[in-house]
Amino acid sequence: MSAATGRAIPGIYHKAGSLRAERRWALWSAYASLIFAAIIMLAPPFYMLLTSLKTSAEVADLGANPWIVRNPTLENYWAIISNPMFRGFMYNSIKITVVVVCLTMVISILAAFALARMRFWGSQMLATGVFLTYLVPDTLLFIPLYQIVGSLGLLNSTWGLVLVYPTLTVPFCTWIMIGYFASIPKELDEAALIDGASWSQMLLKIFIPVALPGIIAATIFAFTVSWAAFVYPTAFITRPDEMPLTIGVVSQLIRGDTFAWGQLMAGALLAALPPVIVYAFLMDYYIAGLTAGATKG
Amino acid sequence: MSNKDLSRRTALGAGAGVIAAGTLTSPAVFGQPTTTLRCAFWDHWVPTGNGALRQLAQQFGERNRVNVNLDFITTVGNQLQLTAAAQAQSRSGHDILSLSPWDIGAYADQLEPVDDVMGRLIAKYGPPNPAAEFLAKHRGAWRAIPATSGTQNKPACVRFDLMQEHAGIDVRAMWPAENRAGPTANTWTWDTFLRAAEACHRAGFPFGLPMGQFTDSVDWVGALFESYGARVTDERGNPTIRGNQQLRQVMDYAVRLSRFLPNDVWAWDDAANNRALISGRSSLIFNPPSAWAVAKRDAPQVAERCWTIPMPAGPRGRFLAYLPWNSGIWSFGRNKNVAKQFLEFISQREAAELTTNTSNGYDIPPFGTMSDFKIWETEGPPVGTVFNYPNKPHHQATAHIAFAPAPPELASQMYIQALNTKVIARVAQGGETIEQALSWLEREITNMRRGG
Amino acid sequence: MALDATEGRLAVARARKPGNTLQRFARRRSTIAFLMTLPLIAVIGGLVAWPAMYAMYLSTLNRRMTTFIGLENFRILLDSETFRMVIWQSCFFAVTAVLLKALIGFWLAHMLHHIPTKGQRKWRGMLLVPWVIPPALSTLGWWWMFEPSYSSINFLLNVFGVPSVPWLGEPWWARISVIIVNVWYGAPFFMIMYLAALKSVPEQLYEAAAIDGATSWQRLRYVTLPMMRNIISITVLFSLIVTFANYDIVRVLTNGGPRDLTHVFASYAFQVGVLSGNIPRGAAVSLFMFPLLAVIAYFVLRGINQRNKEEA
Repeated sequence: MSAATGRAIPGIYHKAGSLRAERRWALWSAYASLIFAAIIMLAPPFYMLLTSLKTSAEVADLGANPWIVRNPTLENYWAIISNPMFRGFMYNSIKITVVVVCLTMVISILAAFALARMRFWGSQMLATGVFLTYLVPDTLLFIPLYQIVGSLGLLNSTWGLVLVYPTLTVPFCTWIMIGYFASIPKELDEAALIDGASWSQMLLKIFIPVALPGIIAATIFAFTVSWAAFVYPTAFITRPDEMPLTIGVVSQLIRGDTFAWGQLMAGALLAALPPVIVYAFLMDYYIAGLTAGATKG
Repeated sequence: MSNKDLSRRTALGAGAGVIAAGTLTSPAVFGQPTTTLRCAFWDHWVPTGNGALRQLAQQFGERNRVNVNLDFITTVGNQLQLTAAAQAQSRSGHDILSLSPWDIGAYADQLEPVDDVMGRLIAKYGPPNPAAEFLAKHRGAWRAIPATSGTQNKPACVRFDLMQEHAGIDVRAMWPAENRAGPTANTWTWDTFLRAAEACHRAGFPFGLPMGQFTDSVDWVGALFESYGARVTDERGNPTIRGNQQLRQVMDYAVRLSRFLPNDVWAWDDAANNRALISGRSSLIFNPPSAWAVAKRDAPQVAERCWTIPMPAGPRGRFLAYLPWNSGIWSFGRNKNVAKQFLEFISQREAAELTTNTSNGYDIPPFGTMSDFKIWETEGPPVGTVFNYPNKPHHQATAHIAFAPAPPELASQMYIQALNTKVIARVAQGGETIEQALSWLEREITNMRRGG
Repeated sequence: MALDATEGRLAVARARKPGNTLQRFARRRSTIAFLMTLPLIAVIGGLVAWPAMYAMYLSTLNRRMTTFIGLENFRILLDSETFRMVIWQSCFFAVTAVLLKALIGFWLAHMLHHIPTKGQRKWRGMLLVPWVIPPALSTLGWWWMFEPSYSSINFLLNVFGVPSVPWLGEPWWARISVIIVNVWYGAPFFMIMYLAALKSVPEQLYEAAAIDGATSWQRLRYVTLPMMRNIISITVLFSLIVTFANYDIVRVLTNGGPRDLTHVFASYAFQVGVLSGNIPRGAAVSLFMFPLLAVIAYFVLRGINQRNKEEA
């Protein structure tokens, strides 16, 4: 080993020096990659923004550089906001999302509490079932659901959507909540039980406050998924006044064989705004929600 | 917000392009309206087009003490067809619904027969054009009333300056804005068309002919096929592909023509040809005047050089790509008699003329005697540009809908799946031989008929 | 297990009470638990399991849904060349897109990990934006960027002298466009997951490896990857499922065209089932996804169970 040590001393100095250089190079290349990636990730929304600020004539102008806005105008945004149809879409989206998020959280928290804490026959099976349900894609179910919802007379109604959206949100939210609840130390339960607390008090007074980050993360997830849902509205809703934003913007702001691109992009950006705002302010919870699914098992 | 208060100029000039469409109830009527009539019509592609129906609904409502509710549903993303499917399946919905051409046959059993109304209209205005009759009549009864709003032809909208300069064809002399064909009109055949396409392609202004999966593509190719006498099925739906010489002839022609089209026409939707014209890149498209109407607003230097002429003639005659909309009354509806009255009201000549005027001449009434509205003479600039848009007697053309005379259930599938453009694409873009492509077509049709 | 220990202690705490009260308590607890999970069971049973069964029943009917025709719809689909291509296209799309997403996500996570922690948050924020925008809407933006006459991407290419690309017009380019949009949308998700996993690798392992003279490449291969193996497999498998069943992007960008060569199961099911009015055949198309998804789900579950065992 002495030969190695003998060689190691200048070797370590060399490595120490090269470590610094290596780190500097790593840092530099990291920033370069990140800048490149950020440009690509942000380019489409940026271009959407540019287009939404152009007049219809400028959009149609082929000769010019499409990445520059020469005569910026807010007329597309005004047209969209003053369009009652678009306001209707926004209202529908909000209504559906709020109801679905409330429903989802109630269902998920109750079920997760029961599955994480209470032993009963079939609880393991149900937990696995929840996860499997999460893996079933909505595109597999939308045709039979189209028939079922149709026979209930709920096609072309936002309530039909409220009925089926929980399939998208409940499994994952339950899964996240099970993870968070399971990580709450059992001593808290026992202390509460010894103090004579009932299960509902335990849930409301202990679990929910302690697992609040998880609940926020799950709520954000449910909100994002409900807001962005596209498959079910496409199949179920064809009347403009019952459409949510995703399908409304895509189908209604296109006038047959003439596209009002400026308005379309403005509408798309306005429709994408709520999730982005939630994300901007609650980013850490958002990310915690995403990673909880896999890291919390 | 009443649309009739917006003049056409304001609507187009504001660049708004999108006017609020949606539910509208008629204003307060004297006394209590006894019935509410719920109608869903095709959402017009001309920015102001829905205004006529709103006006008519209001007049009808006032006269008859009926509350007329109008919904306008677009065909973008097949929304209107989806609505029809959903309503037929759940047996509830609007009283009156706009139906796409082949849907009438698909839902014939659930549509209320309207022979009485059609009988009166025919007595007054003469027969509607045969294609409309073929589509709307099933098992001996009229199942829907051919509509004016939305019914369109797809003749050629030509940049006459480019055609003159590069192909040496003066389309305005060929088809002037008068009730006669020009001296060279009978040279307007598909062969001439092919030569012109080549010349314009070389000059950098190719024809913008879509070959994708949407109605603009399927319709013009359908007219092309029919003008060669090439039918893919008979009236029963049996494929007539083997040994069909006309089919092979027209396929060969189509493949040769596609060499002079932009290389991405295979993915064009219904708006791509409009964009090609408005951007100034294309010298000819097959489209109703909606493209020209938007060009008037966004690219006036293009619009004032457009001229509409009939489609070219083939060996078996001149056929015009025609897309008729129809208004059907569900048999499970509750207000069928009122619905019939309303539809009869909007089919009258005055109502039809109002509809066509409000849409800048886009809408084509179903009756041949109504092909002489003033709007087509006066629209411009340039004045007379849409004179030859409706099917006039001197064109000697017949309206045709793609895949006729196949039975409706099969035809609607072939239409939605765009079998005619796909079979051409397999040769021109996919590199197959015509025989290979045709045997694929036969297999597809056979598969569509199975399990039905 | 822990819960049993709790029960034991509870039993001791309530030892004063007679035995049958304890039994009553146990019974009451399971009924409460059952009632609490009842809504969940209703959602899973009524909105997932029942429609899945119904789909299987639907796929055995004829077009008008009047008679039972057994497996005929599946036979017809397999006879149809278009559908065979759809199967191939879906698999190609899923595998390629997930591979690219995993590679790009991993690379980005690695890069993020190497910059000082203070700056990480804002870069992470910027890079996650594609995932936050509803995919149907961001695809609209991409569609506009790919649009044949007005494509801004082609404009940039032309600036560098590269000829315009028919993004949506030719089959292979259209497929590549769909993959590009999907990768753009999904890579941030991979990045976030891998970043979380990277952070959980203990620093001492890296230091030990560095002392042993490992190059950064060797560190990656022998320390990072094995530690992240579970997360990598779970994320990849999960993404395979989601990408395989994708609908939004194909529907908005290409609608399956040209010539049905970009159709995946979901969009083809919509075209055949809802648009062409053949609901049973549409259900049959959707059901084709099922075997593949089941296989992938099995591996995901196994991965998660392994992870739980490792953690516990």
